[in-house]
Amino acid sequence: MSQINAYRRKFMAALGGIAVGGLASGVMLRTVEAGDVPAKPVDQPVSNKVRWGMLIDVNRLTDGGASMVEACKREHGWGNDPKASPEQQSQWIRTVKVTDKLTQHSFTLPVMCQHCAEPPCVDVCPTGASMKRADGIVQVNKHTCIGCRYCMMACPYKARSFVHETLIDQRPHSPRGMGTVESCNMCVHRVDKGQLPACVEAAPQAVIFGDLNDPNSRISQAVKELGGSQIRADLGLNTGVRYLGL
Amino acid sequence: MLALLTSALVGCDAGVPEPNLAPAKAKAAQCVESTADMRKNHMAYLNVHRDKTVIEGIRTTKHSLNECINCHVAPTREDGSAVHYTDEKKDHFCASCHRYVGVKIDCFQCHADRPQVAENINYQHKLSSNNYHLSAKTAKPNVNDWLLLGNSQAQGAAQ
Repeated sequence: MSQINAYRRKFMAALGGIAVGGLASGVMLRTVEAGDVPAKPVDQPVSNKVRWGMLIDVNRLTDGGASMVEACKREHGWGNDPKASPEQQSQWIRTVKVTDKLTQHSFTLPVMCQHCAEPPCVDVCPTGASMKRADGIVQVNKHTCIGCRYCMMACPYKARSFVHETLIDQRPHSPRGMGTVESCNMCVHRVDKGQLPACVEAAPQAVIFGDLNDPNSRISQAVKELGGSQIRADLGLNTGVRYLGL
Repeated sequence: MLALLTSALVGCDAGVPEPNLAPAKAKAAQCVESTADMRKNHMAYLNVHRDKTVIEGIRTTKHSLNECINCHVAPTREDGSAVHYTDEKKDHFCASCHRYVGVKIDCFQCHADRPQVAENINYQHKLSSNNYHLSAKTAKPNVNDWLLLGNSQAQGAAQ
């Protein structure tokens, strides 16, 4: 009986903790998560001591990643280009439904730029516009992009899109324009400020973001403990985005 | 023939017309560099800063195009219409001079050419907001700024 009481006390204490966390609202939440992305001094360049990565638990994504897609659209302003047909719309992140033909088991996962350590898009770019930052984030430097779309061909994840039309009123932190290729950039503008990428913030129950090079970071611990598969691991690209439950 | 030449000369006498520069929104005493320096070298500053930002992730605000826009461009005219670089009226700060000197730029094919107010109505230029913007004193501080500044300063701001 005393054991049961002890158990109950612990359980209630845990509940209390949750209630307090709930009351403290956004501020508490942000400071806890901020540990995953230490703020970098604004005047310092990014360093290769860090490698940003993401671990997505597909089973914990109740909506298959739809909220992550919506958050990305809001953050970067893509997906609603006025003249583009549905096939032409940009797609920085999309949900992909996978069905096992034998068992009919089916699930949905979000797919975006996988931020490879050996990115094929960087290999093929004729101008050096497709680039990998020192901290492992792969992005397009649109100042040098000539819109040849070679990187779109090279990417095995179909992560890149091309802007076909003149745009106005882009997000100030996320320039997008006609004639350039674009893709997920792991919200560089947010990560540099010490914030989480928009999609991670939209699905905190299922996604861990952090430094893969730091053995003590939450993501490194999780990957060590639980593993984490890469899509098309056979290509040997060493992706920064990993999945659980594939 | 002579008359034509004279009239042409008269035209020359009138001199080069003064550029009709759109006024800066913020009432700072000076831009990030001296006015003469900015007129001559702003493109060089922007070019250096853009590579530092995109490639190295250095995000200082001093030579940032976003901060130029936040300070120099009002998002809407008095009648509420949006101000864009490509507008025929050429009353966008950058356009007002670039038309005058006949220089074509493509910054605004990708970059936002006006501050985004739809999401953040109280947005004011951060560098000078406390000193130079009347509205910043009366408006409530932005919640996001509180979180970035940390708790102690946020409480100070609330008092």
